[in-house]
Amino acid sequence: MIVIQEGPIDVAALIAHVQGPDHGGLTLFLGSTRDTEAGAEVLGLEYEGYLELAVSETARICAETVSRFGARVAVGHRLGYVPAGEPSVAVAASTAHRSESFAACRYAIDEIKVRVPIWKRVIRADGQQVWGIPGSRA
Amino acid sequence: MADAIKVTVLLFAALKDLVGAERVTVDVPPQTPVGAIWSYVPTLSDTPPPNALRYAVNHEWADPELPTRNGDEVAFVLPVSGG
Repeated sequence: MIVIQEGPIDVAALIAHVQGPDHGGLTLFLGSTRDTEAGAEVLGLEYEGYLELAVSETARICAETVSRFGARVAVGHRLGYVPAGEPSVAVAASTAHRSESFAACRYAIDEIKVRVPIWKRVIRADGQQVWGIPGSRA
Repeated sequence: MADAIKVTVLLFAALKDLVGAERVTVDVPPQTPVGAIWSYVPTLSDTPPPNALRYAVNHEWADPELPTRNGDEVAFVLPVSGG
């Protein structure tokens, strides 16, 4: 399950998609926008994606996560404006046992951050707007 | 360019701001490699492409050496910063 669109992420739907009696461990990662960056107040982030490739690349990452960890995976990523404090990305991963679900979730989010063509612009309270820097810990 | 082909270039994020458009169509010689399309785009042609730039053709990742064909959609993909 991959949902890349404007509007709040339906986290419950992501969880429901990966839950099941055969999977005893489920890890959920939520990445939210921070209200400060380099000491400056941040109102929110504006996300822009290359949708076709973002969806296909996320699908590749999910397939890798399935084959490496035996996981079920669901991913949500917001586009457009996301106010500070709200989730902009979510990954739910379930596996038979606890430790693999952490590893699967971590693998998926780490790959998403470097491979999926989505960019963010930081909207600061002082009026400045700057594109996010790749490789930052955001 | 009597035998030129038309290639549409998709631009995102900082590149879209720089060019002032999310897509531009350029006339290039047939078989122009994806990696050489940059030099035909107004504004971008003033400087070389960033080292980390990646390319997609018709919504699939592509090597810079891939020859373009008439009607192709080429995307310039800067290093990403999502999440």
